Amino acid sequence: MSGRVNSLVGVARTRSLAPTGVVLVAGVLIVVIYGQQYTGSVFVLAACYAIVTAGMAVQIGFSQQIAFSQSVFMGVGAYGVAMLNTHFNMSVLVATPIVMVGAAIAALVLGSVVTRASGLALAVATLMLPLIAVGYVSNTGFLGGPVGAPLTGQLWPSSSTTTSLVGGGVVTVAFLAIVVFVCSRILTSDIGLELFVLGVDERTAAAMGVRTPRRKLELFVLGCVFAALGGAAYAGTQQFVPETLIDPTAELALLIMLFIGGRRSVVGAVVGALVIQYLQGASNWVSVNILVVEGLLLTVVLLVDPEGLAGIAHTVTGWLRARYGDRLQRRREPAVAPEEVSALEPIVLKVEPPIAGRGFSANGAGPEAPLLECRSVSKEYGGLSVLDDVSLVLPDRGLFGLCGPNGAGKSTLLNVIGGSVPPSRGQVLLDGDDITRTPPHERFYLGISRTFQAVHLIKGRTVLDNVAVACLASHKSSILTRIGRSRLDQAREQAAETLKDLGMRHMQDREVSSLTLENQRLVELARALAPRPRLLLLDEPASGLSEQQRYRLADLLHAIGELTCVLLVEHDLDLVAQVSQRIFVLSSGRLVFDGGPDDFRASPVVNSLLVGL
Amino acid sequence: MKFGNLLIAGLVTGSIYAVFAVCVSVWYRVSNILNLAVGDFAMVGALGVDYVYRVKGLPLPVAIITTLAVVGVFAYAYDRVVLRLAQDGPRPMEGIVVTFFFTFALSFFIDGVAKMLFGTDVHAAPALWNGQALTWASLHFERAGLLVLGCAIIIGGAFWLYIRYTLGGKALEACGENVIGARIAGIDTRRYRWLIFVATAVIAAIFGIVESPITGYTYLSGATISLTGFLAAAYGGFRKPGRALLAGLFIGVLEALLGGYVSAEYGDTVLYAILAALVLAWPRGLGFESAVSG
Repeated sequence: MSGRVNSLVGVARTRSLAPTGVVLVAGVLIVVIYGQQYTGSVFVLAACYAIVTAGMAVQIGFSQQIAFSQSVFMGVGAYGVAMLNTHFNMSVLVATPIVMVGAAIAALVLGSVVTRASGLALAVATLMLPLIAVGYVSNTGFLGGPVGAPLTGQLWPSSSTTTSLVGGGVVTVAFLAIVVFVCSRILTSDIGLELFVLGVDERTAAAMGVRTPRRKLELFVLGCVFAALGGAAYAGTQQFVPETLIDPTAELALLIMLFIGGRRSVVGAVVGALVIQYLQGASNWVSVNILVVEGLLLTVVLLVDPEGLAGIAHTVTGWLRARYGDRLQRRREPAVAPEEVSALEPIVLKVEPPIAGRGFSANGAGPEAPLLECRSVSKEYGGLSVLDDVSLVLPDRGLFGLCGPNGAGKSTLLNVIGGSVPPSRGQVLLDGDDITRTPPHERFYLGISRTFQAVHLIKGRTVLDNVAVACLASHKSSILTRIGRSRLDQAREQAAETLKDLGMRHMQDREVSSLTLENQRLVELARALAPRPRLLLLDEPASGLSEQQRYRLADLLHAIGELTCVLLVEHDLDLVAQVSQRIFVLSSGRLVFDGGPDDFRASPVVNSLLVGL
Repeated sequence: MKFGNLLIAGLVTGSIYAVFAVCVSVWYRVSNILNLAVGDFAMVGALGVDYVYRVKGLPLPVAIITTLAVVGVFAYAYDRVVLRLAQDGPRPMEGIVVTFFFTFALSFFIDGVAKMLFGTDVHAAPALWNGQALTWASLHFERAGLLVLGCAIIIGGAFWLYIRYTLGGKALEACGENVIGARIAGIDTRRYRWLIFVATAVIAAIFGIVESPITGYTYLSGATISLTGFLAAAYGGFRKPGRALLAGLFIGVLEALLGGYVSAEYGDTVLYAILAALVLAWPRGLGFESAVSG
């Protein structure tokens, strides 16, 4: 599972060029050789669908933004081309880019509304689109109603049937190759890593600086534009737009293609489209009973591997490589010893020399000026007051403890500072600037970094990639600009350096869920540290750790406190008193204690509240 | 009295949506799987009874019992084979593949088999309560509609009482909240999964039998029913059968009123637009926040 997902986001440029090349060469050959036969015409139809499913692999499979908008935008592309062709006598090849621009604008408008929703809300809201569209089209005579809309033009107009068939097929294959290239590049670039995190957990993504609203909108537009392109190719090659192209069944058919092929794989999505299209014509019995066949096939494929045919192919090639490739490789380089197998051993924290001075930016105003200030922050949920008039000031260096009984509002305060929870009243200031309304991903770039109470690592990815997520710094770029130049390698380098500083280099290639809890917590710490934050928010980093592990963590925290400002939420009072220079205690949302570790140990308030004396 | 009659029609369709929504959300609560094949079980109920009764010429009670038995056994077998392979192995699958796609494939499969067996024409189970529509003042009550409404109230109420007041209902709630926790507490989550799956399949089939004289079914009708049930369940927050019931009624009434007052052709279009707007305006209130992840 893990290795498979990792291999989808490769490093090498060839991973996007190879599938594109295969699609282009094989596609053109099939069209030229079989263009006038049944095989060729099915192939061209499948290629139209593959253009759509390749975009879905990025949007739905990989980034897990489940929006049911593809069949509608396929309809936008197809009907758009048909209308421009019949009413304005425009050639299909000219109409296609015009329709795509129109689709992009429509998707941008629609997307800016619907992508505010996440998860299931997004799915249900967009599920209405095919329902609305089919109701509209079947009652609109202009579009041909239930009958459909015929075209007079062709994708490749020619008086000779052969030329127009082959030409149309080649153009469709070229469209498909472009789409495959763009999609593969997105998945193998730094944005691919961002999108993967976005798909797993939107909140973590935002805390790691991923600009989630923008990425979601971009994904939606991408899916819609490719769907429109597929629709345009469909109209141009089939010369007819049936009403069934946009109804909910069409959307389901597209989903079947995607999931049989492999939801996270661009090539898989293309293969899925081919398999379904060829199945329909495989035999008379199959085409009559296609529903049974599709239902069985989907069930069996998903049972064998939830990643579809792409996943199965990956397992098989992995097995072949293990079986035969190993032998070949060993013959070639016999001396290579297996790399450090001792990964399960407890790590040695190598914090000296500390991570010092490499970007932890100093506060320009001098050590006296506050870095962070909370002014009378209050938070209520319904009538329930969780934070009540909390004010605190943190300078730019040092470690500060935040204690309190369960439900005192510690995590809420951390969330308010991190930006994932807006306060009901009060202000949060960083360097004297009001950031109360600043979204979490922007706060990340202002230098606020955090860990979570429960470990929020990205399963299925290596330690290195988990840390690299925080080093991408791609908030200013769009998905498309990243196709040209990926920063993934630089981000991984920076991540590797942080891991080296923390003495964790030996585990960088391991998948995170195979690590011990201690190491998972350390990876999370490394991820929060890697961008060299000015303010580090740690939510119970020691929970679940043994005493010995806590000692090591304390040493590490101490070293980090020398470099930057840390706000540490923790239940272990000894640990807090040992590492903090100042401690805040919350009780029922109010700040009841604020002082040094010695006062903290002696304070009757603290003792009665936290120790039970 | 146009409004009154529209309201009655709306309540009848709404109660159909409501029952399917309850079936979807109760099972989702146990298994964290959305049953997208629930409408297909209804379709099999209606067309199955029609097939055994009209085509094979067996008595109506025999037809009903046979059909329900076939649906129940099939649902049980499906759970034992497919869902067990998917979920009860050493590495249970999770995420959208399980949440949507196994039942989605099941829906295709059932439709395909129904096409083989029952053909492509519109059929319906025979009406269970024959006679003229009942009239009171200027309101018309179709008998089949009243039957549907009555069944909806009984089934919805029974589920509500079961979850609210019995230990079994509490255990059922626990299954979906936290599978491991429920197992530690001694609740057999797998047993609840097949039990509720079979129960909702049979209920859906009963509803198909009762309702089909009103609309008539083809082998493809199941998808539409599942869709409306899914939508109503969604507006009930997927885990709350009571709210799913209300949402179903609300959608039915809204649909009838839009069809009657706004536009017969574009009524549904407006309905779906309103529903989409509701999700976007109020996702938290409708309970979408915690529903499905990854």
